[in-house]
Amino acid sequence: MKTNQPLFTKTSLVAHFLQGCKRFFILSILMSFLNTLMEMLIPQVIRRFVDSVIGDDPLNLPAFAEAWLARLAAPSSSQVYLRGHMYLVAILIGILALLVAFAFYGTHQSNAIAAEKLHKNIREELFAHIQKLPFAWHMKNKTGDIIQRCTSDAERVRIFIAEQMVSVVRIVIMMGLSLYFMFSMDWRLSLVAACAIPVIVGYSAFFHAKIGGSFEKCDENEGILSTIAQENLTGVRVVRAFGREEFERKRFEKQNVYYTGLWISLMKLMAVFWGIGDFISGLQVLLILVLGSVFCVRGTLSAGEFIAFLSYNMMLIWPVRQLGRVISEMSKAGVSLDRIMYIMNSPVEKDRDNAVSREETDKALKGDIVFENVNFGYEPDIPIVSDINLTIPAGSTFGILGSTGSGKSTLMHLLNRLYELPEENGKITIGGVDIADMKAEDLRRNIGMVLQEPFLFSRTISENISITNRNMTMEEIRKAAKIACVDEAIKEFKNGYDTVVGERGVTLSGGQKQRTAIARMLTSRAPVMVFDDSLSAVDAETDARIRHALSESLGDSTVILISHRITTLMQADQIMVLDKGRIVEMGTPDELLEKNGIYKKIYDMQLSLSEDETA
Amino acid sequence: MSEIETTKEQQQYVSLKYFGIPKLGPYVKPLKGIIISMACLCLVAGLIDTLHPLFQQYALNHFVELSTLDTLVPFILIYLGILILQTIVNMISASQAGKIEMDVSRDMRRASFNHLQTLSFSYFNQNSVGYIHSRVMSDTGRIGGLVSWSLMDSVWNLTYMIGAIAVMLIINWKMALMVLVIVPLAALASVYFQKHLITLNRQVREINSQISSGFNEGITGAKTTKTLVAEDRMEEDFNKTSRKMFKTATRTSHFRAMFISTITFTSYIALALVLWRGGRITLQGLMELGTLAAFSNYALNLMEPIRWIVRAISDLITVQVNIERFTRLMETESDVADSPEIIEKYGDAFHPKKENWEPLFGDVEFKDVSFMYPDGDEYVLEHFNLKVPQGTNVAIVGETGAGKSTLVNLVCRFFEPTSGQILIDGRDARERSQLWLHSNIGYVLQTPHLFSGTVKENLLYGKPDATMEQIEAAVKAVSADAVIERMDKGYDSDVGEGGDLLSTGEKQLLSFARAILADPRIFVLDEATSSIDTVTEKLIQDAIEHLMKGRTSFVIAHRLSTIRQADVILVVKDGKIIEQGRHKDLMRMKGYYYNLYTRQYAEETTRSLS
Repeated sequence: MKTNQPLFTKTSLVAHFLQGCKRFFILSILMSFLNTLMEMLIPQVIRRFVDSVIGDDPLNLPAFAEAWLARLAAPSSSQVYLRGHMYLVAILIGILALLVAFAFYGTHQSNAIAAEKLHKNIREELFAHIQKLPFAWHMKNKTGDIIQRCTSDAERVRIFIAEQMVSVVRIVIMMGLSLYFMFSMDWRLSLVAACAIPVIVGYSAFFHAKIGGSFEKCDENEGILSTIAQENLTGVRVVRAFGREEFERKRFEKQNVYYTGLWISLMKLMAVFWGIGDFISGLQVLLILVLGSVFCVRGTLSAGEFIAFLSYNMMLIWPVRQLGRVISEMSKAGVSLDRIMYIMNSPVEKDRDNAVSREETDKALKGDIVFENVNFGYEPDIPIVSDINLTIPAGSTFGILGSTGSGKSTLMHLLNRLYELPEENGKITIGGVDIADMKAEDLRRNIGMVLQEPFLFSRTISENISITNRNMTMEEIRKAAKIACVDEAIKEFKNGYDTVVGERGVTLSGGQKQRTAIARMLTSRAPVMVFDDSLSAVDAETDARIRHALSESLGDSTVILISHRITTLMQADQIMVLDKGRIVEMGTPDELLEKNGIYKKIYDMQLSLSEDETA
Repeated sequence: MSEIETTKEQQQYVSLKYFGIPKLGPYVKPLKGIIISMACLCLVAGLIDTLHPLFQQYALNHFVELSTLDTLVPFILIYLGILILQTIVNMISASQAGKIEMDVSRDMRRASFNHLQTLSFSYFNQNSVGYIHSRVMSDTGRIGGLVSWSLMDSVWNLTYMIGAIAVMLIINWKMALMVLVIVPLAALASVYFQKHLITLNRQVREINSQISSGFNEGITGAKTTKTLVAEDRMEEDFNKTSRKMFKTATRTSHFRAMFISTITFTSYIALALVLWRGGRITLQGLMELGTLAAFSNYALNLMEPIRWIVRAISDLITVQVNIERFTRLMETESDVADSPEIIEKYGDAFHPKKENWEPLFGDVEFKDVSFMYPDGDEYVLEHFNLKVPQGTNVAIVGETGAGKSTLVNLVCRFFEPTSGQILIDGRDARERSQLWLHSNIGYVLQTPHLFSGTVKENLLYGKPDATMEQIEAAVKAVSADAVIERMDKGYDSDVGEGGDLLSTGEKQLLSFARAILADPRIFVLDEATSSIDTVTEKLIQDAIEHLMKGRTSFVIAHRLSTIRQADVILVVKDGKIIEQGRHKDLMRMKGYYYNLYTRQYAEETTRSLS
């Protein structure tokens, strides 16, 4: 995966997903064959029962069965013996029924295992691949769209392979076997029966191809209706504030009635389709009934054969009626496969082939951080940061001051390689090693970063804090939480550290989230720590408490502080002032004060504002 | 996480009287005729199905046994007649079922949607959009399916079963009784398996939603995951859910396959019994061959209907949840409702009587107002008094989540005071209709909401009859003309679902213009310019000052520098008003506002300096 990523074609992607499923599919098809065969033997038993046990025709059994029966029946003939022991036939059917049931179970269960394994493969592969895709890819693609690909499209591919393809195979088996038994009894009657196949398949395929568009139109209009409801609910404040309830009612009503009408007329069409389908197969049955009777009267067909033939005919007609629908639905899967392929073929994050070892990276991260002539923009022509040259000595605290959009966060994205710095755009080294030569994973593990709007996973608070290390003890978790001053707040929750947060649980306030994220970062004991405006939602007092606790536990870590608060920045060894992506001031806090530049202005404003404003 | 699941599971078991069917009365009653007709047709269809084996019986007994074709033509004609009847019955009953399904769900969707238009905000605050949306869009569909297709299946199959049993009893009651012994066994097995299937299907749905949110988290949390190098952990956890899905899904299929296998097996056992006993009787000449064949046919096909009936019953059980949730929505009463007398005079939300509406001037007064949110347990306002004469500019400040919107919600009558009064133009707000008040309010939200459609359609939302000149003037007033010029089709450009094609700032500008166009007497700006750049914000500020003259306005401010000129500033903390006054007074107090302001001002300055 680290080197050249092979691109999937549709076939190779399907083959890739099918790993570990194939044998279950094969087993399922074998079982299906057994199931059908056993089911088809039962009419044969009935036929001989009617013709030779009740009637007087010779038994005409396979040699081994004949011999076995003769031994059992001796001294009387097999026929006579069976007439006296009819329960034997019942037992035989019972045995066959047991086999049918067993094989049916086997067919469905192995198919279900195969299908679920396939679905599991698809979603796990997708999830793993998405995790490895670069951050830039995530920024470019819409979340909703990706989720749709991972859920509905994956489902459609599963249905295509595990249901539609499998049912085509099964239908072919059923048709083949029933035709075989029919032809073995009377080829002329079989030919007549078989004539109906192209008619029914053609009729149903034609119909489905014709109305396929109507289904899509219904789906589309359901989507529109659903959107109207959705927008009405999310915009409920706007609706009420403008007093537009009546307008909304009419809008919904119009689409509601239109959509319902579409479905009802489609249902009518479907009802006609089913009806005519019933009629055609009914006619076919009538034809067989009449012709069969005629053949019987002429003596070319026995009563038992006739009965058996009618059973086979029913077994033939049912799958034939399914075939047209399945074929017409199969075409839809191609699009879904394409949409999944788009994700699977997006290139994952790559490290250089000759990346340095983990030990070397760990060692290097204890060194100075150096930006050399760094220029970068997300879009080619729009630079975000330009001519950045700076050195952050190991173990020092480095402050960054700058307005929103000045490029502070971009520098941090480059530092932990959320965005890759192209070679010609400068170099970032840590401990003398170019970060591009490190493995992204090793680099990031050594840089603890707290984001301004931290993301908490929807699980318990303790799981969130210990996300990087499952084996973390409760003491370690609580210690980190204490340093981040969030321990007390957590204990106030009913379930304490076991409180589930996020989507499925309680919502934390901005400040609680930030502090939990700080605790989470602290547990990694990284040699480089970055606080990207990560105390903005915490009040000044708590901010001070956290900084005090932090300074005690940070040890010899290199710390980068991005903040708007002068009091926070004041304790940095060095401060850089960033404006429109360029360094405008740099130096120790004292030096910057003397410079009388932006820092000094803000310093004055924040610390001596009182006189200005209240005057 | 497991805790949440179990509570969710428990919530799904509900017991309604008579399976909640009486609750569906209003939606089912208008369709009584067609439902009865469908049921009758299904009855006929079931009976025709019972007739089919008799043709085979006749063919065997008459043509084959007697070796004659004398009645072949009437045989064909009768068969054709029945076939045509069956085709017609099937067509009509199926399209009727389709109509019933769609009509019931349409009426339920309409009723729930309209009811939602009258519910107060406490309902929307307590229930997520996704949850409410499912009530309108999916519960209704499932209930519609129950009263049509499930009903059809049960009538049809029940008729067939009864018919088949009757014919069997007539042919040979002893043999029929023997076969009937198996029916309860098959029924018991069906109930057993279906019970498991109901629970398992629920679990599958629940895990399915976990998988979706797993994907959601894996994608929206990508930045954090990468920063923490937690990819492996995320993948492991996702795969755990994925494996759970595999297990549950295959377990479900196990029961389903066992279910069908059992039915198949019992069917063949019935057949075997018939052949055994019937063979003997036939051999003795007491029964004709065709009759034996028909009898076998009935026996073989007797069990399958049980499966369908049990399935229909299980549909009835699973839909209970949907019925319950739907009824709960319909039975929710609005906390804020106009009294019958008020509706009589001023009209309701859908039928306003504008001719009776008095003009609104914009005097607002809080008179001894105490307020507690319906889902809260603490007063957020206690004995609050405030006079806001027409034309006053009120600013509300405080941290995110401090409860700034409460006052605005009360002014807009989205909520009503727990005690005390809010006077509009000197009269209690409750003395006029909600729509009267709302029609005079212009509301601009921080998270602006646009509807799918064009820019123009959105601007016209508050004043459908505005002229193009009026629209352009409103757009100019908020400097949104540049935004509209930039779009390829100008005013006719599509804004996308929920305005998705525009940036938040652009949406704020348009919703601002929309509010101005409506020409309201009371303006509410809820952090309305937070995503607009500083230069434009300044332009808007100037325009607003001009626009607001004579109008009462409530401004929830994000940037404190923008509200220094306000006539009165209310400072909110933890849901309560802790300070109140003009900017200068508040700064002098050196209290909470002072802190808030100094901190913010510093950040503001950093921004404006760069």
